[in-house]
Amino acid sequence: MSLPLLNPDRWINDYADALYSYTLPRVNDAALAEDLVQETFLSAWKARNSFKGEASEKSWLFTICKNKIIDHYRKKARDITQSLPEPSTPDGLFDESEHWLPESQPGQWDMQQQPTDSKEFYAILEKCRKKLQEMQQAVFSMKYLEDLDAAEICKVLNITSSNYWVLIHRAKLQLRGCLEKNWIHAK
Amino acid sequence: MKFLMISCKKATWLVSKKEEKRLSWHEKWQLRAHMALCSMCRRFEEQSGFIARMARQIHVHETLSDTSKEKMQQALVREH
Repeated sequence: MSLPLLNPDRWINDYADALYSYTLPRVNDAALAEDLVQETFLSAWKARNSFKGEASEKSWLFTICKNKIIDHYRKKARDITQSLPEPSTPDGLFDESEHWLPESQPGQWDMQQQPTDSKEFYAILEKCRKKLQEMQQAVFSMKYLEDLDAAEICKVLNITSSNYWVLIHRAKLQLRGCLEKNWIHAK
Repeated sequence: MKFLMISCKKATWLVSKKEEKRLSWHEKWQLRAHMALCSMCRRFEEQSGFIARMARQIHVHETLSDTSKEKMQQALVREH
């Protein structure tokens, strides 16, 4: 069989690191990211005859990888049994009159940071994302890293748009609070 | 005047809704009125936008270990 457009022998050498770098921030888990990259290569190998050369080999592999990531979110959402938050679920940030509690009031941030500092910011963002509930993590990644719109996210995760609003909003409230506690420019 | 004001909790909720361009005319007005008086919610909006911008720009350059790549290569060869 001839595969003039694909070079499976070189895939791992040429694309493993790039696919891993793409996947890691999206799933925020090193072992899982590695598994998804491996599955990407295996699926690509199985689907090699359907490759028509309309896209480059590289973007074809990235599309497969992206689908693996979205599939992962889908499965994860199916496995999660904990109930989804409603707007009325307490978030622990506001008092009875719905004003900021003293310990959760937003402080002043220095957002004019230099490139060297952004590395530090991302390290802390990564830690803070790990503290989010799994569904919040999934929604956050799909919205900001995968750039999916609300309707697509609801479909993949099989949630209502009301669930979605609460999840994304709570994720932001939590992340903001966590960054403020841990990021030096937020003090 | 105070009875016309929405709470901080509601205001932050509207900030998130605004980011998705889903505010009604009435909500826009409510949010603007709240923001004019509440510096903490103004900070929340700025910081929330900052987090979103930074998250959209996440780029990492990670490398897999040789052992991991070797393992992947073997798994791929088994499929041949």
